[in-house]
Amino acid sequence: MNFEITNEPLDVGEIARRVVPEECGATVTLDGYVRRFTKGRETKHLVYEAYEPMALKEMEKLADAAKEKFEISSVGIVHRLGKLEIGETSVVIAVSAPHRRAAFEACEWLIKELKRTVPIWKKEVYADGEVWVEGERDGNAGVPPA
Amino acid sequence: MRVKVLFFGATADEAGTNEAEIELNRPSTSESAFEAILAKFPALTTNRKPEDLLFAVNQEYVAGGESIAEDDVLAVFTAVSGG
Repeated sequence: MNFEITNEPLDVGEIARRVVPEECGATVTLDGYVRRFTKGRETKHLVYEAYEPMALKEMEKLADAAKEKFEISSVGIVHRLGKLEIGETSVVIAVSAPHRRAAFEACEWLIKELKRTVPIWKKEVYADGEVWVEGERDGNAGVPPA
Repeated sequence: MRVKVLFFGATADEAGTNEAEIELNRPSTSESAFEAILAKFPALTTNRKPEDLLFAVNQEYVAGGESIAEDDVLAVFTAVSGG
């Protein structure tokens, strides 16, 4: 399955190997994981929540758009939900291409767009409180305002 | 007519529920439906402006002017923060 939302730990290598057609020569994989310090504040853990069916649709749309925009063959996107500890992988994006440059560019574009359009939210849990992170709306052209 | 409204993350906390049913006039557009939701759940805009919220109808972001039909599934949530 190329697009997936799961509560289970992510295996980056396994996800990368899902997208290896014979015409390709390189797969670029992003392993996004939980950071301990954000703007000087220490995170204890994160909790992710998603609007799952819509998030899967938006992931597919992003992959289709990336294939239009870059010379790539295949895209895999998997996001984990629930409670994640520091250092645990929250998102994996794997992009295969005949040549590596397009895969690097597409992978960067995909994570940027995912953070803008795919309905998933993270709650930062600190020692002294917690907050649902609201993404940046500035520059959010393409996500229609309510 | 009745429609379902879903909330996630911050909006679920503020609405006090993940899911609600609301009664809308017929006909309704995405704009009038959104206003009705904000009127019923004023906590959504206590600490933010309406334009800081995102609105989806049947799992698609609204573009504006959509007609809302009985049994549609609406969703109101904050700017996303996955990754």
